[in-house]
Amino acid sequence: MKPKIRMSLLASALVLTPFGALADTADGAALNAMSWDDVVELARGGEVNWFLWGGSDNINQYVTEYIGGRLKADYDITLNRVGVSDTVEAVNIVLGEKESGVTDSGSVDMIWINGENFRTMKQGDLAYCGYTDLLPNNALINWDNPAIANDFGVPVEGCEVPWSKAQFAFAYDTSRFDNPPKSIGALIDWVKENPGRFTYPAPPDFNGSVFVRHVFYHAAGGVDNLLGDFDQAKYDDVSAKTWQILNDLEPYLWREGKTYPASISAMEQLFANSEVDLTFNYEPSGVGLNIENGVFPPTTQGYGLTDGTIGNTNYTIIPFNSPNKAAALVLQNILLSGEAQYQKALPTVWGAAPAIEIDRTSPEVQTNFASLERHPNVVPAGELAKAALPELQASWISAIERGWLEHVGR
Amino acid sequence: MQETRRMRSFRILTGAVLITWLVLPLIPLAIWSFAKGWFYPDLLPRNWSLRAWEYALSDTAGVIDSLWLTIWISLAATALSILVGVPAGRALGMYKFRGKEIVELMILAPTIVPGIAVVLGIHSVFISMGLNNSVTGVILVHLIPTLPYMVLVMAGIFANYDPAYEAQARSLGASPLKTFWYVTLPAIRPGIIVGGLFAFLVSWSQYILTLLIGGGRVETLPLLLFNFATAGRNDITGAIGMIYILPGIVILLLTAKHLSGRSGAVGGFGQI
Repeated sequence: MKPKIRMSLLASALVLTPFGALADTADGAALNAMSWDDVVELARGGEVNWFLWGGSDNINQYVTEYIGGRLKADYDITLNRVGVSDTVEAVNIVLGEKESGVTDSGSVDMIWINGENFRTMKQGDLAYCGYTDLLPNNALINWDNPAIANDFGVPVEGCEVPWSKAQFAFAYDTSRFDNPPKSIGALIDWVKENPGRFTYPAPPDFNGSVFVRHVFYHAAGGVDNLLGDFDQAKYDDVSAKTWQILNDLEPYLWREGKTYPASISAMEQLFANSEVDLTFNYEPSGVGLNIENGVFPPTTQGYGLTDGTIGNTNYTIIPFNSPNKAAALVLQNILLSGEAQYQKALPTVWGAAPAIEIDRTSPEVQTNFASLERHPNVVPAGELAKAALPELQASWISAIERGWLEHVGR
Repeated sequence: MQETRRMRSFRILTGAVLITWLVLPLIPLAIWSFAKGWFYPDLLPRNWSLRAWEYALSDTAGVIDSLWLTIWISLAATALSILVGVPAGRALGMYKFRGKEIVELMILAPTIVPGIAVVLGIHSVFISMGLNNSVTGVILVHLIPTLPYMVLVMAGIFANYDPAYEAQARSLGASPLKTFWYVTLPAIRPGIIVGGLFAFLVSWSQYILTLLIGGGRVETLPLLLFNFATAGRNDITGAIGMIYILPGIVILLLTAKHLSGRSGAVGGFGQI
């Protein structure tokens, strides 16, 4: 060995020594080869930094008090909930660290994620993968369900685990009118009959984008033709019809379509202040929380569409450079437990639909779920699920978002 | 006599306009923080609630811890700004040297170039120096937006500053330290106060630099506030917002007399 190389090895060993204690829980490959009991022992007494959207006190309280409390009591692990305004902020931190060569001492241990952000993480090799079989509660997940095994068309392949399910739903204020439009076709007619009473957030807003996809499915005459890889010819055909519909609609929108709300919360404010009469959200339980939090009038009622609404799953992911992977795994296992999923489904806590198979949980949890009372103003998940539409692959979604900006939002 | 009376009524009028302008927007914020729902066309909320305040003051929200942390970061960033800004302002205000325009442009650059454009580059520099995810790193990165204000104010002060006073003190036997303490400092103090106030408030309102350099671990108040503001939660935004503006008001009141037109911060050396 040349002295120079030996010196540099020595130097790197010296640099790495302070992180020696971290190396165990940062080394994903080593963890994947361990037994679950060893992982738990390694995680005990540690900490975990979970980055998630922080704009709801209910969700914050569930995460900090219920989940954090269980982590502390059962495993002596400290949960640091880091609230972000947009998930992409957390992804950018990991991305910046990777570019700077931080491979085992990153600042993010877990992110609440799906869709575009997951695609960025997976394509950029920013995710820790291949650990799902390690988690005891992995048995509760139905990976044979394509809606679980694919995150917006991107195969999950062991790089994240599901947390909740959501399905797009509309809402209206029963004190203002009856019989809201219950299909995209009926909605288009309704908007023209009620000028100025409808709008949608401008894509690429998450919720505005999924609304435009509903119109896209409507223009295509169904989603079946659109599944699979991106197809330029099909896209050109359907998108031309979609832009036609949306441009025809524009003069009848709020402020004659000269401007669109920039975010879903901006649109929810318009709805709350009676500037528009319909709202929608990818998270149907949001109607219940918004009523309880005084954001929406108590007469707001959620509803689904007869021609179906798009559903998705959201997940938790562990970055490749998380220094606390063992603790993050323990956290994921708790999140997947029947008890935590039941707590999350309580309408007073959050009302989010479970991402696990209820019939695989303990009899006690099954009884709890069976007696779960939904919020009366939230459309039941079971009713929505009767007319559920799949998400397109991410390449379709970004093409539609770009097309909207070019042809409608210009 | 006529002239001064007109001046006085003009001053009262501008004062009233300023107070309306500054205070009126805060009233809905305060009302929202006690409201459970407040819908058009109601003039006042129909249901009142302490929930937003209960949440804002709870351990889960972490607002109080965050308040102390933000105060500490902003005070430290202000102190460092003064340490760097006073000599820099003296050099720029009192001396002509080759490349002065370039130095001025470089110091002004952070106020011209949007932070979002450079923050990813700054992030990787801070990572390579091992300063990311730490309060120290956040304090240091806050100097980038705070220094231009400090340096500019001090350069203005020193442009009107006559170094002959220092020479006199020295010739009468004062040591350099004594000269600074008894002659220079009183002369430039109004500038330090105004520049420091700017620096404090600029540091106080940093979002994207804190988020990225702090890696989310350093949770200052703007980070907590943005979570709820972007989510449309006017009640909790109102409660955290009321806490957020408190230090600014306190500092503004403490330094108010230095901010008026009669202060030396504008005219320089005229007051002593």
